[in-house]
Amino acid sequence: MRSFRALLYAECVIFARDKAAFTFTFLFPIIFVLLFGFLMGGMGGAEGARLGLYMPDGGRGEVLEEVLAGIGSISVTHYSDQLALQDALEEKKIDFGLVWDGERLLFHYNCTRVQENYAFQQLATGIAAQFNLSYQGLFPILTAEKIHVGKKASTGWFSSVVPGIMAFSILSAGLFAVSGHITAMKERKLLDQMIVTPMRPIMLLSAVICVRLVIVYISTLITLLVAVVVLKLGFTVAWLRYTVFVTSSTVGVMGLGSLIALVVRRPSSASNIANVVSMLMMFLAGIYFPVEIMPSYLRALSKALPLTYMADAMRYVTGVTEMTEARFWGITIAMLVLAALLLPLLGRYIVKPDRGRY
Amino acid sequence: MKGILRVAEAHLRTALREKITLFWFLIFPLFLLAILTLIFGNMGTEGEISFAIAVVNLETDTAGPVDFAGIIEGVFEQAGKPSEEGKEPLFAISSPASGEALEDFLASEKKATRFGDRAAVIVIPEGFNQCLLHRMMEDGPSSSANCSLAIYVNEGSAASGMATSIIDQILAGVERDLLTRMGRFQEQKAIPTETLWVGSSGTEVRYVDFLLPGIVLMGFFVNGLFGVPGSILFARDKRVLRRYWVTPLTVTHYLAGFSVGHLMLCLVQFALLLLLGRFAFGATVTFFQPMSILFLLLAAITFLAFGFFVASVAKTANTGMAIANILNMPMMFLGGLFFPVTGLPLVLKAIVFLNPLTYLAKGLRVSVGTEAGTLSVSIIAVPLVWIAVCVAVASWRLSWDVER
Repeated sequence: MRSFRALLYAECVIFARDKAAFTFTFLFPIIFVLLFGFLMGGMGGAEGARLGLYMPDGGRGEVLEEVLAGIGSISVTHYSDQLALQDALEEKKIDFGLVWDGERLLFHYNCTRVQENYAFQQLATGIAAQFNLSYQGLFPILTAEKIHVGKKASTGWFSSVVPGIMAFSILSAGLFAVSGHITAMKERKLLDQMIVTPMRPIMLLSAVICVRLVIVYISTLITLLVAVVVLKLGFTVAWLRYTVFVTSSTVGVMGLGSLIALVVRRPSSASNIANVVSMLMMFLAGIYFPVEIMPSYLRALSKALPLTYMADAMRYVTGVTEMTEARFWGITIAMLVLAALLLPLLGRYIVKPDRGRY
Repeated sequence: MKGILRVAEAHLRTALREKITLFWFLIFPLFLLAILTLIFGNMGTEGEISFAIAVVNLETDTAGPVDFAGIIEGVFEQAGKPSEEGKEPLFAISSPASGEALEDFLASEKKATRFGDRAAVIVIPEGFNQCLLHRMMEDGPSSSANCSLAIYVNEGSAASGMATSIIDQILAGVERDLLTRMGRFQEQKAIPTETLWVGSSGTEVRYVDFLLPGIVLMGFFVNGLFGVPGSILFARDKRVLRRYWVTPLTVTHYLAGFSVGHLMLCLVQFALLLLLGRFAFGATVTFFQPMSILFLLLAAITFLAFGFFVASVAKTANTGMAIANILNMPMMFLGGLFFPVTGLPLVLKAIVFLNPLTYLAKGLRVSVGTEAGTLSVSIIAVPLVWIAVCVAVASWRLSWDVER
């Protein structure tokens, strides 16, 4: 037990001294949350879009004004000429523009807002459809009432991104903990020195896992706290499930990290592979944008990634989305199974002396 | 001159032999270009996006003059078929199992929407046909709930939001069609809708054309931020530089050679990105014009100087890497390389304002025609000021040998 405590202490010191690991584990999730929170807060939707309006001769402009007032989710700024509207659009003071000259609706878009124009175009189509009816004195006959069936009516895009970022930070910390840290120990021949001591390899593995578990848990809590305090987001955390899930997913991804450690020997190569794997998963797991916008083959790939399920489960335990109990426990147990299957391989890796180099 | 070229060659060879360099400076930008283009390149294009929805038709009275509910159901069924062979349908529509009661099916679909497995459930209520017929004959809006479709969505899901806006468009089309058939809407009096793209290109910029200049700059930036302090500080800490100083090579010669090597690495990076963008993703953006070349060169030199700045403020190579890591993400994302930078709080606006990437990204994009605007003096002046400040700090602080 004393040796285990010594190992725990050593692992804590190693982590505290490792500036890169410290930055990646604690600072990165916060930077991601803050940056994406402010940068991409309304991306993907046209909620709160700013429309610039110019009506040269006012040809039944009141009808258009009425239609725009009925849209509700947009703000309208009037311009005295088309050039001023175009300048405002170029300078991103407005999101899209509309010129109504009594004969046609001329929608203006900034050609460089490639990721946002889709949403503005959708909105423009709605405006045009409604204006066409009103212009001929007709009322919409086919109305549709939107009924929210989710858990929280206030849930927004960013509320589901934050748990995704937390899941991603678990993934990267878990992958790097094993692939980077253990391979570095192997390269420095620290593992070879350890196997000639009476200490069992399981002790080392347990110490690494325990320390990383605590660090990852604290890191996710800090990320959550920043999102709540700075970005004023609300979460309803089911603490027991949260703790169980963070634990199971951390050991699960450590298992995945073992695979990387077994495939490559050098810590730099292991870190590179871990980087590629985590980046690939980050983009494809539906953390920042819905998987539905991706081509079918990427959607299929997304379904095969553990991060997709980790992000879903994290959203569930933070009260953002709903999930069946069976699905949640299925994901949690699957991560534990992953750990149970793969971590013993890492145990063998630790005890296998690197004879080739002597 | 020979010494300078030798140092340049050594720098380039060392960089290309290092797996980390290869990964971060060459593979990662290529990977990012590929993955972002694959994801966003066809966003909103029919045949590339697909949403799982359900249509539940509860209308039982189909004996009237027009089965509106059937028409709407049919339109969505059509949207559930691929527009052309090999393409995906816009909607993957789930239907009740044979013998399954519609109420049970609706309950299970609503549950699926709650759990995020469906983007939306469209419910056509009972009595819809009769109500809609009356409504079409009336002159004003009806308040009857039977006339209104219910769309069950999950507001927490971005997919739900996107699917709903597409459903709205389809319903608007159906509505117009129905009103036209009933003689209420006069198609010849319909107001035409036109689109005007504002910006130097005058047309919608393709995502890959927008992204490519950003990724090129990201590559240069990462190359300068990590590559320069990494190479200099590791060489200094491992006493490699000390060996140079016992040769006739001066610090100035070494710097010149290092800079040439760095620029060559940027050139390799640029060529690979351009090839991938052009031949794999059909990018049409052209960098081979004087202003674009000027901005590429300015960017490479700015980040080279920035790298020296980081090297000069870091005591060891590890500290240099930690500083680079901390600066990397905020500078990259707040420089507008991948997403537009708008609506930020004051502190972040200040970073955007001071960030050389903001100006270089704008300058390069305007020069290649993927961003609207003009090339103001500040676009060139701010990176030049950065170069001057970085060179001044580096020449004052950067130590070329380990402390004895």
